[in-house]
Amino acid sequence: MRIGQVIGKTVMSVQDAALKGGRWLIVSPLDAAQFSEACSKKQVISAQSSLIVYDNLGAGEGDVIGFSEGAEATAPFPEPIPIDALCIAIFDSIDYTPYPAV
Amino acid sequence: MLVCRIVGNAVATHCHRSLSGKKLLLCQQLGDEDAMIGAPFVAIDLFGAGLHERVLVSTDGLGARHLVDDDNSPIRMFVQGIIDEKQLAV
Repeated sequence: MRIGQVIGKTVMSVQDAALKGGRWLIVSPLDAAQFSEACSKKQVISAQSSLIVYDNLGAGEGDVIGFSEGAEATAPFPEPIPIDALCIAIFDSIDYTPYPAV
Repeated sequence: MLVCRIVGNAVATHCHRSLSGKKLLLCQQLGDEDAMIGAPFVAIDLFGAGLHERVLVSTDGLGARHLVDDDNSPIRMFVQGIIDEKQLAV
């Protein structure tokens, strides 16, 4: 599960029927340097490219989420569903203690 | 399977049901010389790995689904073992 911050959403009026009821979040994956300030609601855009994550948990803008990618993203759904990133956790807190450089 | 170091933990109230009650650890991949690679990610842990310990993280989704006993779990990363010693022959 990678970690990212919700920085926006996309809206589609025409889409696959299996996808009704969820939201499409624009998520910026967090870089190592941003972990110490994660969950402070301050929105940041990292150097990594943002991606769209399907969400049925209810994450909002500024939330830090964990998302699953690839085949595992479709595992919770009973029917085949055309997504490759799914929000699976909304983090309340992240405690990051970097290991001293070796 | 990745050699990683535990660099923290995460708490999530709202999460997929297969994640609730599991320990979520922040892991960062290590290179040959134990330098950190890339951004940290979250893996579930059933062994009780501690902060700054080196662990082996599996990326096997099928294994993870067996581990949490849920065929519909979206989990892929899990701590497979705690590394005592790592030897490089070169």
